[in-house]
Amino acid sequence: MKALAALLLGLSALAAEAADTLYLYNWNNYISADTAERFEKWCGCTLKQDYYSDNEEMLAKLEAGAAGYDLLVPTGNAVQTLIRKEELKPLDKGQLPHFANLNPAYVNAWYDPGNRYSVPYATTVTLIGYNADKLRELHLPTDTWALIFEPKYLEKLKGRVTVLNSQRELMAAALRYLGHSAQDTDADHWRAARDLIVRAKPYWATFSNSTYIKELAIGTIWVAHGYSNDMFRAREDAKAARRPFAIGFAIPKEGAVLAVDNFVIHKSSRRPDLAQRFIDFMLDGANAADVSNLIGAGNPNAAAVPHIRPEVAGERALFPTREDIARLEMLRDLDPKERRLMSRLWTEIKVK
Amino acid sequence: MTRSPWLWAAGLTTYGFLYVPLAVVVLFSFNDSELNASWVGFTTRWYGILLADDNMLQAAANSLFIAIVASTVATVLGTMAGIAMHRWRPKLLPFLVLTPVAMPEILLGVSLLLFFRQVLDLTLGFFSILAAHITFSIGFVAIIVRARLAGMDESIFEAARDLGATPWRTFRRVTLPLILPGIVAGYLMAFTLSIDDFVITFFVAGVGMSTLPLQIYSMIKVAVTPEVNAVSTLLMALTLTLIALASRFAPETLKSGQ
Repeated sequence: MKALAALLLGLSALAAEAADTLYLYNWNNYISADTAERFEKWCGCTLKQDYYSDNEEMLAKLEAGAAGYDLLVPTGNAVQTLIRKEELKPLDKGQLPHFANLNPAYVNAWYDPGNRYSVPYATTVTLIGYNADKLRELHLPTDTWALIFEPKYLEKLKGRVTVLNSQRELMAAALRYLGHSAQDTDADHWRAARDLIVRAKPYWATFSNSTYIKELAIGTIWVAHGYSNDMFRAREDAKAARRPFAIGFAIPKEGAVLAVDNFVIHKSSRRPDLAQRFIDFMLDGANAADVSNLIGAGNPNAAAVPHIRPEVAGERALFPTREDIARLEMLRDLDPKERRLMSRLWTEIKVK
Repeated sequence: MTRSPWLWAAGLTTYGFLYVPLAVVVLFSFNDSELNASWVGFTTRWYGILLADDNMLQAAANSLFIAIVASTVATVLGTMAGIAMHRWRPKLLPFLVLTPVAMPEILLGVSLLLFFRQVLDLTLGFFSILAAHITFSIGFVAIIVRARLAGMDESIFEAARDLGATPWRTFRRVTLPLILPGIVAGYLMAFTLSIDDFVITFFVAGVGMSTLPLQIYSMIKVAVTPEVNAVSTLLMALTLTLIALASRFAPETLKSGQ
């Protein structure tokens, strides 16, 4: 027991030492080393990052009592969950003079009306990436979900299509194609979406959440349902390796899913003052541009656009126009009953 | 004596199965392509990037340090548990020692996290990872040591005591040398388990404390670059060096026979 007390004492001493340190629980590769260094110099503090690769992963850890993170970078629906569980500290807008840099299309979102807790940082669209040369050769369209759902197109693409291994994303694509909202929870619409998926499934190569990037880039897959920044990477890779084809990606005209990652301050934060300074620093156009230049993420910061590489900023699927944004929807969390139905439909899809 | 060509073929296939993937990892650490999807060209720049990547190096150093300390402590405790289980055949001890081995990792991870946070109110970090790794390694060492003892002739120990050796001296001069290969095997096993554990570490890792598997896993979202191949190659080189040194200076420790 004595040893334990000594250990705890030692640990609290460690904690006291870390007074000028900002702890950020972030996606990997979301802030460049360069920008992190500039921030440290500017604020005279240390920035420490830990990484997660999934919102649920991060929520599960916080739920179990992990404390000490000042800042998190959750996606919209996870922000709502965190607000509902009273896990967040409200922002002091007076400390965020650069807040006005944000594109009005991304502020005041449904998950946090009035942005009391969250500041949007990066966006991703779930869309279709394709081998531009192959599709031209086969005379196929590139801007419609029909490409992954309609047998008349799929016949020419058999075994060359991958879709995301994600209940919500795939169902959302099917729902949009059938003319419904991605947030639709009508059971009959869901069943119709399941039927659409089951009909198309025999033509697909596989359900894939990450390998499609490489397969698209080396040309073994011609059409992939996936995330915009992944498609961007695949395109850059094909270009860099001088492969004899080009990768393209487009937001299907029926509409698609948008994900927005946000900075929020956790309630266990010991240095909310530093966290606010960090958020405001990252709202500055030149710093906000970082994530887009680094991984090809879309950017909700209007002042960032002039600082972003033209091959990223000029890409309509990454920087959608106002009309495009109107066709994008974010996924909301389902209630337990809906989740059960969704799981059952997903199982039916997988076994058929 | 001639050996059947089938035996050769089977042997080569097995070795190929084990080592070709490792060779591919090493080869692609020199690939001049960020996505690393196909061979593009030769470069050593990933090693340069790795050496400048403080996060990755810190994670690798954490992993190595935790693995060394955790496996050492687990080997001492596990050896004692193994000997105790063999000698006194207690009823409860095997159950207590072996449960963490049989329990699904995810369950162990969650329960350790709840224990550290809700019961001890410990700040997660170095000590929580270390304690967790020791916990799940003890059982493996104990099993191996006990198995080693089980095959041994009791009369050897009785003879030592008969000739006037104290229990400690019997242990030092007779028991320990005999079970040493088991202890070394247990140590290596604990080391391997610790250095590549993801699930349990994920739950008990705290703010500002990452290990190599956690670091690599978090890169999946943004795709794994050849930097990961580079760090794996260096780790492999380190392990191979350790094994080579061990077989050079203490060949008997690597042999499992008498």
